[in-house]
Amino acid sequence: MKPAATAHPHNPWLAHAVRISRMAAATPGVFICDLVFQDSAVAEEYTFAPGQFNMLYLPGLGEIAISISSDPDQRDCISHTIREAGNVTRALGELPVGSALGLRGPFGSSWPTENCIGRDVVLVAGGIGLAPLRPAICHLLAHRERYGELNLIIGAREPSGLLYTTEFDAWRADGLNVHVTVDRANSDWHGAIGMVTNVLDRLWLRQPENTLMLTCGPEVMMWYAVQMAIRRGLSPESLYVSLERNMNCAIGLCGHCQFGPQFLCKDGPIFRYDRVASILKVDDL
Amino acid sequence: MTSPTESNRSVLFLGRGQLNQLIRALADDGYQVVGPTIDQAAIVYGEITSADDLPIGWTDVQEPGKYRLQRRDDEACFGYVVGPHSWKKYLFPPVTLVATADRTKTGWQLSTPETEPPRYAFLGVRGCELAAMRIQDKVFLGGPFVDPTYQKRRAAAFIVAVNCTQAAPTCFCTSMNTGPRCSSGFDLALTEVADGFLMEIGSESGNVVAARLNVEPATSAQLESGNAARQQAVDQISKQLDTTDIRDLLMNNLRHPHWEEVANRCLSCTNCTMVCPTCFCSSVNEVPDLTGDHVDRERSWDSCFNIDFSYMNGSPTRNSIHSRYRQWMTHKLATWHDQFGSSGCVGCGRCITWCPVGIDLTQEVAAIRSSQNNPSVEGAVNSSHDNEGVS
Amino acid sequence: MNTDHPNLLKLLAATRFVEGISHDHLQGLCRASRLLKLPAGAKLFQEGAIEDEVFVISSGHIRLSMNVPGRGDVPFLTTGPGELVGWSGLIGDGRMTATATAIDDTTLIAMSGRRLQELCDSEKELGYVLLQRVAQVLSQRLLSTRLQLMDLFAGEKADT
Repeated sequence: MKPAATAHPHNPWLAHAVRISRMAAATPGVFICDLVFQDSAVAEEYTFAPGQFNMLYLPGLGEIAISISSDPDQRDCISHTIREAGNVTRALGELPVGSALGLRGPFGSSWPTENCIGRDVVLVAGGIGLAPLRPAICHLLAHRERYGELNLIIGAREPSGLLYTTEFDAWRADGLNVHVTVDRANSDWHGAIGMVTNVLDRLWLRQPENTLMLTCGPEVMMWYAVQMAIRRGLSPESLYVSLERNMNCAIGLCGHCQFGPQFLCKDGPIFRYDRVASILKVDDL
Repeated sequence: MTSPTESNRSVLFLGRGQLNQLIRALADDGYQVVGPTIDQAAIVYGEITSADDLPIGWTDVQEPGKYRLQRRDDEACFGYVVGPHSWKKYLFPPVTLVATADRTKTGWQLSTPETEPPRYAFLGVRGCELAAMRIQDKVFLGGPFVDPTYQKRRAAAFIVAVNCTQAAPTCFCTSMNTGPRCSSGFDLALTEVADGFLMEIGSESGNVVAARLNVEPATSAQLESGNAARQQAVDQISKQLDTTDIRDLLMNNLRHPHWEEVANRCLSCTNCTMVCPTCFCSSVNEVPDLTGDHVDRERSWDSCFNIDFSYMNGSPTRNSIHSRYRQWMTHKLATWHDQFGSSGCVGCGRCITWCPVGIDLTQEVAAIRSSQNNPSVEGAVNSSHDNEGVS
Repeated sequence: MNTDHPNLLKLLAATRFVEGISHDHLQGLCRASRLLKLPAGAKLFQEGAIEDEVFVISSGHIRLSMNVPGRGDVPFLTTGPGELVGWSGLIGDGRMTATATAIDDTTLIAMSGRRLQELCDSEKELGYVLLQRVAQVLSQRLLSTRLQLMDLFAGEKADT
């Protein structure tokens, strides 16, 4: 029997050889790792959409799913913002510039930048959740004229946990209202204190019914950001969340990342809220 | 390929003594013939070099949590139902090398194995097992990414189906519309009768092989005894799974107390997922050599019943047995429809037989269903919360 | 009658705090209110002090903090336009449970707690709506405090 097979140009298990071109400390426990392809033909062919992720591979240690945090138009390297949390990320964090590793990707769904055209957009990021939103920010600002009001609400545990702070002024200058809030701070912090939901609660929205929200952060934060957005008059169809589950193969074949009917690696990680709303609050799903 | 319909399919007859001819013809074509054979007191699938390797004169006795071999009073080659093995072990092997890494002076040489796949001829594929292959085809070949190992092995395989002539109390293929009749998806299909085998041709490759055998057109008496033999299997099927709206039934009851009740019995041993012909969960592991300069990336069968399977952020997402059993059953019977357009269950009954405590998924579904129909039964309290379920 | 009344009414009506409250009732609220402008850095009230007024922020931001011996002034929440601060003056005993400081130039509508209570007593419908509003503010405040307490960003994004 010869079942009809979908033609696919690449063996999906084949990792590309990449090299670390830059390593930078970002926030405590988080570093930024820029990668370049060893093969210029692969580099030429590689493109990604904001919100997608790569599998980074350290031979002998394993693979991890890391969202891409660079500007999709930037062609000279691909940037990943990584929290040191397990064996692979810790080992990766210790590698010097020039080290070789493997990369498979890009994988997964992306932020709905097409749907943002002609509408106001609120981006809500919590902690390292800003990393997968950064490519979307770059994309929106590169085509600023296509969009209405752009607001970014960033939440972090404390001021030292804020990512990309040196870019905030440039983002503001390019037409993005950046609102920063932290869970805790001492009195020398001059920014806001409180949850992203508090900021969203008082954010001026000129046309909530024509506003999209893209959010990434801890699941509980996203849930309450979504509830607040709905209270503020945004429709459930215009809210997008980025979910997280254990990813192993990234190609929808291993079963690890299932969340109800979804495979997070290929159907997600970014979902329209109303498509996952009914299962988001089912314990241990 | 379109299968000939039953009516225009010419049925041949292969004498009992000629079964070896078929095995030899397949071997001569370069196939490694695998089929049922007895090992460790079970009928399993292994390499077959002659009909003598088949479980001639043996049958299996099955019930929830029980499997025994028993002598038959005849010399039937295929007089059993299904054992713990399924053909997935050949198409989606328990351990597969998916990629390698070799240290070089300048970094890592990353490769994927380009070896030629083994060419298997499967002898004795049941109707439910043909259905299981169709389901795994969707999983491994139907999505945006194709699994190369499965693809090559599947494309190279020759399939000799054998219609069931008996059923176990654990069988419920008729509920899943997967059997017992083998109607398509094979190269050749046999029905065992007293003095030999009725043979149907399902593909051009099957036709080519059949042409080299001493076969003759089946007589109407032979056709009649074939029908009777197959009907016996249908008549013996006693188990049923009511699949009416089963997807919504389960997804609307994710918080049903019955999951906890099953969890009190379930050992989370993974047996059901290992014997299931459609379960496809796996994990890739790093296997470095002693120097660390060569690394094999090995994919092994895994199971949603393993606690580490859902590990994320320092802890498993599905920490409780109830959440893992719920994951397995709702995936198999409900969300599989969303993902692949069909149920993930073929009704083979292996998960029932090989469950060490005899958990029967058809009964667990029935328990949830009956609580819906009868508000006084457990779970009804919760149902109002669950009406929001996935749609 | 407050001399700021016309402007006050406009500013109050523009806040989300009074969404759904009738024009007549808004006028009633205004009669119990005054406009208050604070420069950045100015204290609105002090933890422990007894205040009669409750405040709706019209523009600007107010930071709430508590003094913890050895740690000094610990800020815990920033409130902004449309939000209510100093609610102890309305439903508590008037003793402030936080220190409130303007972090930028801030305009507030200050309402007399005593007069609001009288108003609510005499106009039960307004009292009901107003207290419902206050309850909503407090439930949101409670939720965000709980979320802060959960320390959601503490253990994010680990791999194996």
